[in-house]
Amino acid sequence: MAAKRVGAGKSGGGEPNILAKISNSEIVSQGRRAAGDAVEVSKKLLWSTGKAAWIAGTTFLILVVPLIIEMDRESQLNEIELQQASLLGAPPSPMQRGL
Amino acid sequence: MADLLPPLTAAQVDAKTKVDEKVDYSNLPCPVPYEELHREAFMSLKADNFEGLRFDFTKALNQKFSLSHSVMMGPTEVPSQSSETIKIPTANYEFGANYFDPKVIFLVISCFHVLIVMKEMKMTVNIQLMLIGRVMTDGRMTARVKADLTDKLVVKANAQITNEPHLSHAMFNFDYMGSDYRAQLQLGNSALIGATYIQSVTNRLSLGGEVFWAGVPRKSGIGYAARYETDKMVASAQVASTGAVVMNYVQKISDKVSLATDFMYNYFSRDVTASVGYDYILRQARVRGKIDSNGVASALLEERLSMGLNFLLSAELDHKKKDYRFGFGLTVG
Repeated sequence: MAAKRVGAGKSGGGEPNILAKISNSEIVSQGRRAAGDAVEVSKKLLWSTGKAAWIAGTTFLILVVPLIIEMDRESQLNEIELQQASLLGAPPSPMQRGL
Repeated sequence: MADLLPPLTAAQVDAKTKVDEKVDYSNLPCPVPYEELHREAFMSLKADNFEGLRFDFTKALNQKFSLSHSVMMGPTEVPSQSSETIKIPTANYEFGANYFDPKVIFLVISCFHVLIVMKEMKMTVNIQLMLIGRVMTDGRMTARVKADLTDKLVVKANAQITNEPHLSHAMFNFDYMGSDYRAQLQLGNSALIGATYIQSVTNRLSLGGEVFWAGVPRKSGIGYAARYETDKMVASAQVASTGAVVMNYVQKISDKVSLATDFMYNYFSRDVTASVGYDYILRQARVRGKIDSNGVASALLEERLSMGLNFLLSAELDHKKKDYRFGFGLTVG
């Protein structure tokens, strides 16, 4: 019992030492710092890309989307006019339009 | 405003391309007025974005006389010391009376919007006498007079009266149009005297200069300008002794689409702004968009719903200040 206790005590005394050694070693602390930095940087990166995407998206919504819609409407209008012209039986005008 | 911006007629453009090779120095075209040097760039870059609601109604009573009513509602910015903008909701009504005595044909011109119907009008308006008066419910009153005394001499007068002191002003302009030059004399209140002169050097290049002298803040200045235009592009530059440098470039991709860019620099305050914009005129709509180096993106859509009924949508995003302004409006008549 006593020996066991001593052994247990020894092992109990030895392990924290090793753990402490490992956890206090340069590499681990460096690694931990690096991981922390990486998380921070990736967070910042994600945040700034999100912000950039937001700005780009809203700007696109303001500047390009109305233009696309209007151009689409215009082409639709032209098509309708072309159809009407062909229905009314004025063959030269759509030809000229096509050219 | 629309009457001040006559586009180049086909005849002018043809004449320009024809005499392209040899410069006939005795037969140069008349340059654009000095204050309209940047008009093409301003057309696409200086869209009047607004916030809130806007309703404009113009009713022509007879051939020469028309009345206009406009209602504006929405937040207006109040200048403050802090960087944040403070907005107060306001509502305004404006009553206007216009009188045009035309020489050739009569067209109602909305003074607020360069109209979508521009290409239809072709702007062969030749107005002999124009009187415009506006009264706003906040106590502002403006009056504009333009009279063609002869074919060459035009007199313009502008006056603004407000209930706040030092903001009322009056101005007289005498414009003389020669065969290949334009000269202007400006007289304003608080002893402001100015003169501008612009001369066509070749068929495409025109150079000009200005001087002004103001009595009350005891200031005087001098400025130079140059403008080069072909039927595909317009470039203009202006330098003034106040430290302002303005450069513009407009590329006309077709008669409906133009791209514009401008660069503004102030030598004394070291402010630099550059912007890029487009102007797309469709049959039913006109879209203008712009983005500048301060992080402001703005767009103005003018949609023609039916004859004499225009719908406006305005948006302006200031990403830096996080100030977003949206507006919609209706123009009738």
